[in-house]
Amino acid sequence: MPSLAGRHVLSIADFSRDEILHILATARDLAARPRRDLLQGRLMATLFFEPSTRTRLSFEAAMQTCGGGVIGFSDAASSSTKKGESLADTIRMVEQYADVIVMRHPRDGSARLASEVSRRPVINGGDGANQHPSQTFLDLFTIAGLFPALLEGAPLTLAFAGDLKYGRTVHSLLTALHHFPTVRVLTVAPRGLEMPEHHLAEAKAFGVTVTPCASLQEAVEEADVLYMTRLQEERFPDPLEFDHIKASYRITAAMLKSAKPALRILHPLPRVNEIAQDVDATVHAHYFQQAGNGIPVRQALVALVTGAC
Amino acid sequence: MSIVDPAHVRQVEAIANGTVIDHIPADMTLKVANLLAQGDDQVFIGINLRSSRVGRKGVVKISGREIVGRDASALALIAPSATICIIRNYQVISKQQVEVPPWFDDIARCANPNCVTNHERWPTRFGVVVANPLTVRCTYCERSFDAGELSLLA
Repeated sequence: MPSLAGRHVLSIADFSRDEILHILATARDLAARPRRDLLQGRLMATLFFEPSTRTRLSFEAAMQTCGGGVIGFSDAASSSTKKGESLADTIRMVEQYADVIVMRHPRDGSARLASEVSRRPVINGGDGANQHPSQTFLDLFTIAGLFPALLEGAPLTLAFAGDLKYGRTVHSLLTALHHFPTVRVLTVAPRGLEMPEHHLAEAKAFGVTVTPCASLQEAVEEADVLYMTRLQEERFPDPLEFDHIKASYRITAAMLKSAKPALRILHPLPRVNEIAQDVDATVHAHYFQQAGNGIPVRQALVALVTGAC
Repeated sequence: MSIVDPAHVRQVEAIANGTVIDHIPADMTLKVANLLAQGDDQVFIGINLRSSRVGRKGVVKISGREIVGRDASALALIAPSATICIIRNYQVISKQQVEVPPWFDDIARCANPNCVTNHERWPTRFGVVVANPLTVRCTYCERSFDAGELSLLA
């Protein structure tokens, strides 16, 4: 496996199957055998031009629990952007200070632009509606942890539910599944928020079967993994329509009675109404463990791109 | 008085030296002329001319200048079916179909309003996804567009 040292992590589509498996294996090792000094002497810059809770905290926790240091900002108002500095200049400045840059920015493509001026690896922590690759790696890590046979080519049914049109986590995960064509994908989405046609066409070209499902209940009964996403009110011009659809995209403990025992529910979080709180106590709830997997996965990404392992 | 065969009457004035862009889709003709005309260029335009290949076509003739490089790439984006003829002393020196390059660098604006290239001073880049009909993908925001959806940079 060629080294990933110096590689930017911008889009899941930039990674081969072997590279993805190598990153997952490294994360698995770090989860099993934490290495408190792995990133000692290394510095991460976290440039969060828009707010984030989970992504920023888990990158910072990943760095600090491996002995590394963190500098950065969590709001564009406290950066020089406010004074009119270009993104390229901000990156040219920060790369002088840090070994790795983690960036979230509201504009699509901002991470790739940053990577073109940075001699240090840039990790995309979310660029507008475009990509969020570390989330995809942690989603894959979670699914592979639950169903390890998937990596050996065993079949698996994964249902995506919710806003499949704008949800970048769903698009990125579907792109990653191009390397795992034994996954059968089901989709459940309100009218107008279905998976975009070009994603379906790409998946088909890679041999991944994507089948629309009539209802959330049907998806619950067929799936091994149910990947829920949040419906965003701003996507619905009519508030009454939103209220109506919101009710039909809510999963409750009662709905899980007919699920496979092994079904696990994932969600990139934050959840709002789409998963009832009574689901949390069921064996099927796995979204908080999924969020916890952000630590070893981000440790692995930072360690690999900085050449620490 | 000589009789001229109407079939051989030129539909647009001949030029001594320069470039003839032929077989332009009729509705793209003015766009092509606007793209290629510079400074004091003499430009001759024909719209809705007869064409056995594309039905109705446009022709743009630019006197005194040979179109190459960036202009030819831009032409590929808005009129990929066109041909470029280089004229010297009324003779056609070369005639070739517009070549679709693998990349379009800093030629068109990204149609995604939230693309970073529309907010930072940064050159745009599109890769070709499908050559015919031409579909391109923005290197930055990773969205794909039909070539007709893009507007050219000034």
